[in-house]
Amino acid sequence: MSQVDQLQDEAREAVAAAGSLAELVQVRARFLGRKGSVAAVLRSIGELPAAERGPVGAAANRAKQQIESWVAERRSALKRAGRSKSLEQHRLDTSLPGAAPASGRLHPVTRVFRDVVEFFTSMGFAIEEGPEVETDWNNFGALNFPDDHPARDIQDTFFVEGGHVLRTHTSPVQIRAMTGLAPPFRFIAPGRVYRHDSDATHTPMFHQIEGFMVDERTTFADLKGVLHAFARHMFGPETELRFRAHYFPFTEPSAEMDFSWRGGWMEWGGCGMIHPNVLTNCGVDPQRWQGWAFGMGIDRTAMDLYGLSDLRSLFEGDVRLLERL
Amino acid sequence: MRVALGWLAEWIPLPDSTDALMERLTLGGLEIESIERTGPPLDGIVVGHVVACERHPDADRLSVCQVDTGDGKPVEVVCGAPNVAEGQKIAFAPPGTVLPDGTKLKKTKIRGVVSRGMICSARELGLGDEHDGILVLDPAAPVGAPAAESLSIGDVVLEMEITPNRGDWASMLGMAREVRSHFGGELTPPDTQPAEEGTPAADDVVVEIEASDGCPRYVARVVRGVQVGPSPEWLRERLEAAGIRAINTVVDVTNLVMLEFGQPLHAFDLGTLRGGRVRVRRATPGEKLVTLDGQARALEATDLVIADAERGIALAGVMGGTETEVSPATSDVLIEAAQFHPTDVRRTARRLGLHSESSYRFERGVDPEGVARAADRAARLLVELAGGRAAPGRVEARGTALPHTDTVRLDPARVNRLLGTDLSSDDVAALLRRADLDTAQDGAQLVASVPSWRQDVAQEADLVEEVARVYGYDRIPTTLPVGPVAPVSRPAGSRLGERVRDALVAQGLLECITLPFAAPEDPDLLGLVADDPRRHSVRLRNPIIGEHSELRTSLIPSLLRLAHHNLARQADALQLFEIGPCFLANDREGPGQDALPAEPVGVAGLITRGERPRLWESRERIPLFFLGKGVAERVLFDLGYAAWCRSEPGSQRGGTEPYHHPGAAARFGVGERVIGSVGELHPETAARFGIEVPCVVFELDVSGLLEVPPRDADFQEVSRQPAARRDLAVLLDRDAAAGEVQEAIGAAAGPDLVSVELFDRYEGRGVPEGKVSLAFRLVFQRTDRAVREAEIAKRVDRVVKMLAHRFGGQLRD
Repeated sequence: MSQVDQLQDEAREAVAAAGSLAELVQVRARFLGRKGSVAAVLRSIGELPAAERGPVGAAANRAKQQIESWVAERRSALKRAGRSKSLEQHRLDTSLPGAAPASGRLHPVTRVFRDVVEFFTSMGFAIEEGPEVETDWNNFGALNFPDDHPARDIQDTFFVEGGHVLRTHTSPVQIRAMTGLAPPFRFIAPGRVYRHDSDATHTPMFHQIEGFMVDERTTFADLKGVLHAFARHMFGPETELRFRAHYFPFTEPSAEMDFSWRGGWMEWGGCGMIHPNVLTNCGVDPQRWQGWAFGMGIDRTAMDLYGLSDLRSLFEGDVRLLERL
Repeated sequence: MRVALGWLAEWIPLPDSTDALMERLTLGGLEIESIERTGPPLDGIVVGHVVACERHPDADRLSVCQVDTGDGKPVEVVCGAPNVAEGQKIAFAPPGTVLPDGTKLKKTKIRGVVSRGMICSARELGLGDEHDGILVLDPAAPVGAPAAESLSIGDVVLEMEITPNRGDWASMLGMAREVRSHFGGELTPPDTQPAEEGTPAADDVVVEIEASDGCPRYVARVVRGVQVGPSPEWLRERLEAAGIRAINTVVDVTNLVMLEFGQPLHAFDLGTLRGGRVRVRRATPGEKLVTLDGQARALEATDLVIADAERGIALAGVMGGTETEVSPATSDVLIEAAQFHPTDVRRTARRLGLHSESSYRFERGVDPEGVARAADRAARLLVELAGGRAAPGRVEARGTALPHTDTVRLDPARVNRLLGTDLSSDDVAALLRRADLDTAQDGAQLVASVPSWRQDVAQEADLVEEVARVYGYDRIPTTLPVGPVAPVSRPAGSRLGERVRDALVAQGLLECITLPFAAPEDPDLLGLVADDPRRHSVRLRNPIIGEHSELRTSLIPSLLRLAHHNLARQADALQLFEIGPCFLANDREGPGQDALPAEPVGVAGLITRGERPRLWESRERIPLFFLGKGVAERVLFDLGYAAWCRSEPGSQRGGTEPYHHPGAAARFGVGERVIGSVGELHPETAARFGIEVPCVVFELDVSGLLEVPPRDADFQEVSRQPAARRDLAVLLDRDAAAGEVQEAIGAAAGPDLVSVELFDRYEGRGVPEGKVSLAFRLVFQRTDRAVREAEIAKRVDRVVKMLAHRFGGQLRD
């Protein structure tokens, strides 16, 4: 047996005996490395008689290729074995609790607001804002509340020193958004509002969304349609709406709307065609332009959606509650 | 307003179904707040159907009946009544029922037959003494339904909310009109004309209206010789069902008429009236009046007063006075029916806190054409019920009439244009007619005559509403708007606020919303200096008792209260934030003093650390300050700002907040502008808010961020060349600022340095006293080729020399 054949046999056994990828790397270096056995044979060719140089060289190169292919085979066999070992041995009790990194949460009111904003921006409504301390004119007068009239009692008002009020609704944003500007308008105004009231279903500060649209032809029927679509976006595709006649100084006709909820009706908010006096107060000609507005409490909606029984708990900041909502 | 349906049915035919009635009233704008039933409690008693009736096998006078109660399985009952018969509908009480007399029914055995319940007689139902036989119900009564609904006993009382524009609804007459608008039928109001006798009323009294603007109309009626005593049962029941206490015949009659016609009345004891005069005037300076509740009221010059020749005797429309009160000794009474100006009544009632059924109706406006009718009706009832003699004639006076719009024009096309309906002109006219608004055609337009009781109808929109209301909102189509599409805008502040929320939530913080009220002592609790702008708070004129009386000027106090609240409930680690406005009072005088307060939006965060490290904390806990700093810096980075963070106590820019620990606080800024702060809570502040664990707070001025430029988009492509890392551990004086050292390294290391990071800070064994070991990792990389060893060596050498020269730093091994 030639030296090369012997070398090749040794290599075959060594490759087969390599029990790990690391061992295999060592085996390969021993035979095929720069200082390995095959290289030694090739280096020694010069010392051979001329006639043997060719055959020995060729045999050594063949052996090199042969060993290389055994190494490759062995490498993939070892990797395969490693994978199947993992498949056999990695067995978890998957009922152990998951371990997520701590994550934050948006307040339920913020989440409901975002949902509302998403719906109305998809309908082409821009967002408007206004201050929370408002003038009496923007909060009442421009909205057609007569002075010294029982209509003002509907909304228990916080007055601040100096004659302004904490806005009792988001409707003053209508006045701000329309005054001095030319229709058409399509706006929503999410925001915080204040009423002098505190019990399980009333907090002195709460959140409202106001929506309004003014152009030359939008109708009460459109108002119904938009609110239907909105209700279904919020409460599910089967949701029904009911419109009851009502009175608000700033809309006429006015309605309160209820949505169907667990077999009954749940009060949702108010709406109506914007009163011509309001349009006039904003410098918009009511003979040419017409529109509608609606407003609803967001906190109550959050309460219904998240199954809360006490509105106040939304603003008490108990983390045990907020983390769960 | 409480409305007994049995009473209403005397005025107008009601639909058979109470549900249909309630549905229509509700949709028409009368919100039903509660439904009550008067009369004996008949809970559990249902309509039964006698499907079989045979003689009891062992008793001639007893029957054994099979009664169907609606579930299809007849119940066997023994009955002793002679009139029971197959096919009857009867009132059935199952075992367990408590009868009106308090007896609880049990299953019994009567002469060997088990009786599972009882067929009731009228007396057993508490409906009188009839005990000879069972009560037979209407054959149409639905089996299984509550028996009370099929008995003409008791009454259903609806409590309805009346909107402020519809004062005319606040009476049986108004309700009957509303029912008629929905269901039709003929209105049958009670007779009002009294039988008159004796000398004319005008002989006893004259009426003078001096405050003409406060009293458009005043009608007096005189009834002589009344017997003041308890009212008959039916009258007392009606008042009680309406929520009014029965007092005596005279007072009860005035209240009954008010409920009938919506016109509040007052009765004076004519014998106590001085000088035979009734004057309607304003209060005189210093005038006092003792009202019926016994209180001496100090009047103001704007109060409208009813007076006799010598003194005030009533607050117009609000409350009568004691001196002319009707008593058991009263014989002759003067009935006052008037229209007072709504604003006058409202002002006085509000100031004195005297809200009554009377002031409620005057504030909403009474029907001027109904004033005399109500006076007549009261006189008639006093004749009928109190044995009085109505003096012939009314004594009347008139002041300035309130404005009333008699006719309003309506373009029927406009109705459709506003509502999206397709109603003809005739349809519109017919709908208005149902609401008592008669119309005449004038070309294409309708001209509606407004009845005297509809003070809310004054312009076209009011008619459109009536059309929609009577037509039914449910019949108006449901469509979606059409129109040009325009891009949707959102205020920059609102958008930025949402991004701040997202950035904080992504870092594990929980959003809270608190009520933005503050206590006057909050600035002291925070330790704010005297000239701090946050001491200029907006004060509430009418805070809720027990709540705070100002609007917040800082988000910190409520956040600290939240932390306290949660820590007291064993919350472990807190990571909270709130974003929202604070309110800074406008203290300007002269021009601009009416300007609204500033409402800058800010965000504040709070982090405390629990017992166990959280996943995002390293095992060796770094000071809490750095958590707050890191979170705030990350927010600023995510929002696209190149922000600095510095502590330079004493300097204007670096000074920390008084509620921060002076050794662990810093400010954030962008360019020249301070934009926020971070600091561990000052131990004194923590004690004041009852916080016993370490706590870091940070604040960012969200409104301010809108006014500073974001950082340039200096994006550099990530290099594909290999990066070379070099770690340097340097011994430095303990008080060397790591941030400064790091910045200096960055400056000294040349352009190929892509990052320098502090990865270890160590004091202790092996580090001399007063020294600290800071270890920095420097990363070198080029985009065009690999960085050469020699280049790196040269740059590191420069850094080492700089550290030695500038900071006295010494390389460690």
